[in-house]
Amino acid sequence: MAAIEFHDVAKIYPDGTRAVDSLDLQIREDEFMVFVGPSGCGKTTALRMVAGLEEISEGTITIGGRIVNEVQSKDRDVAMVFQNYALYPHMTVAQNLAFGLKLRKFDKAEVRRRVSVAAATLGLEDYLDRKPSALSGGQRQRVAMGRAIVREPHAYLMDEPLSNLDAQLRVQVRAEIQKLQRTLGVTTIYVTHDQTAAMTMGDRIAVMRGGTLQQVDAPEQVYRRPVNRFVAGFIGSPAMNMVNARLTRDNGDLIVTFGQHRLAIGDEVLSARPALRAHEGGDVVLGIRPEDIEDAKFAAEAPGRTLTVACTLREALGSEVLVHFGALDDGSTTFIARVDQLTTARMGEPLQLVVDTSRLHFFEPASGVAIYGERTHETASGSVAVAR
Amino acid sequence: MIAFPGRRSRSVEASGPALVGPDEWRRPLVKWGFGGAQLLLLVGLIVIGLGPLVWLAKSAITPTNDTITYPMALFPHGAAWSNLREAWTNVQVGRYFWNTVELAIGSWFVQVFVATTAGFALSVLRPKYARVITALLLTTLFVPAVVLLVPLYVEIVHPPLIHHSFIDSYWAVWLPAGASAFNVVLVTRFFDNLPREIFEAARIDGAGPFRLFWSVVLPMSRPILGVVSVFAVLASWKDFLWPLLVLTNPDEQPLSVRLPQIQAQTSLGVFLAALFIASLVPIIGFLIFQRSFLRGTGLGGAIKG
Repeated sequence: MAAIEFHDVAKIYPDGTRAVDSLDLQIREDEFMVFVGPSGCGKTTALRMVAGLEEISEGTITIGGRIVNEVQSKDRDVAMVFQNYALYPHMTVAQNLAFGLKLRKFDKAEVRRRVSVAAATLGLEDYLDRKPSALSGGQRQRVAMGRAIVREPHAYLMDEPLSNLDAQLRVQVRAEIQKLQRTLGVTTIYVTHDQTAAMTMGDRIAVMRGGTLQQVDAPEQVYRRPVNRFVAGFIGSPAMNMVNARLTRDNGDLIVTFGQHRLAIGDEVLSARPALRAHEGGDVVLGIRPEDIEDAKFAAEAPGRTLTVACTLREALGSEVLVHFGALDDGSTTFIARVDQLTTARMGEPLQLVVDTSRLHFFEPASGVAIYGERTHETASGSVAVAR
Repeated sequence: MIAFPGRRSRSVEASGPALVGPDEWRRPLVKWGFGGAQLLLLVGLIVIGLGPLVWLAKSAITPTNDTITYPMALFPHGAAWSNLREAWTNVQVGRYFWNTVELAIGSWFVQVFVATTAGFALSVLRPKYARVITALLLTTLFVPAVVLLVPLYVEIVHPPLIHHSFIDSYWAVWLPAGASAFNVVLVTRFFDNLPREIFEAARIDGAGPFRLFWSVVLPMSRPILGVVSVFAVLASWKDFLWPLLVLTNPDEQPLSVRLPQIQAQTSLGVFLAALFIASLVPIIGFLIFQRSFLRGTGLGGAIKG
């Protein structure tokens, strides 16, 4: 159980590529931190630097207050779960679990005790004598988890451990990992490109892009108050609808217009985003989450909240229906609305939609930084915005 | 594709498109014509390939007179098991046999040791100069072995630093055997293809370089160890020129060097028995290695592939 801190960490490859740049991050003791971002964003590199599998080019990483830049992997007392399990193929499950303990010179009774506890926790008791080749994907994944658990390390490092499991198993194991982490209370860094996993698992999530940290916060906070267009678009599925729009004042109300649509901006939005007033008469990027658009039949209609659109695609998911429509007159920008399952929307037919204007998002068109009222600042690279 | 019952259709499905399709096989002319040709070919290959071995085995226990008079007859005057006993004891094939075994085991060990440790260093540990060393190793592959004969001999007679001749010592055969760039390249390439995550997992689990080599890399390398072992043992077993040069004491020489001399000292029957004994190890070795080593990669379930 140890805090992990990144101080201005960078990873620079020989060809000059900065895979991770100026990473500053404090992960608290027992915290479940999720690194999330598209592939190539540096999340795995950052994790491997904590594990000691990548050299740290700049800055320092501390584990439990100790600078580990020059400490070998085996002496960092962390355990890692790999994306493709990386089990020892010539050892049985029991030997796989015990390997790390034997190397650390635990006595035999203790090794046996820990292996059987881990096996019981993960439901592997019946498979202890099997080789990995005789296990299913989910079982192998559990052995990989077990190998981390038995060590009782300072921290777990997990590199997309669920990406090789089928969808159903993934949901199940995701819940198991969460439960396990809560029970064991071990600092965990979990790397994933799956924003659903990030949202559901993390105490906090760190969104990365192109080697730089974009935002670190509790999942709901990242969802509700994304610091820039990238975070807003990356977190949430379907992604947030975004369109270039114009802010104008009409009869004293602040109005946002895009294409032929006009939405009146609610007072809640203005009080949460006082800086918006400064953009009056200018261009902004408007963001609307799909679930904030509802079929007019199932929402209270109000002036300045309604969109009249033509449905271009209808995707029924059972619990809800995704309605696609063109946001601009030329149909160049497609919006998705997540509406009630009983909607009568049909492809090609006009449809009335109501927008929850208290939850609109706004971004500066040039920098993509979210417009709030608080102090937002950009770093030298221009892509990091911290909203806390 | 229509599935045909029976063996023919299964074998066609298993091997993909065939020269003669399953439909054509049902025609009598094709069936008997092609079937007959296949059978003839098979028998011919067996006779050519296995014939000399079988003849050697037969002649090893046939009296010399019979072998000379009726070379193809099957024991016209009974078997002479004494040939084998005489070869083993009187002409000391037993001693040379064990010499050969000793040489083969030593060469095998040195070769496997050098190939695996060098491969491990170049592929897994990867020091900065690994690429240079690999390139140098590859260049040595282009030097013909005969060119190296004289410098190697000089080196064995006057080894640097040690200043004690290796002539008439088995080290003179064992040490040069280890200097096989081919084995190192072979093993390095194999190690290159092992999943690196497993090495990383072992390092995080607490394994240092030696433990990683011994407990993780070597057990995963059984297929390539098998290949290197087969090459090493066979090469050592049949090597003639080098042992002849560096082992001058007849009591230390292996079968390959002694057999030509034996021929002059003994009858044909005993000589053939000696030849038979000499060829037993490669044949038995082949059968064993074929079954246990050259099959499968042994990586099942290590990683999701």
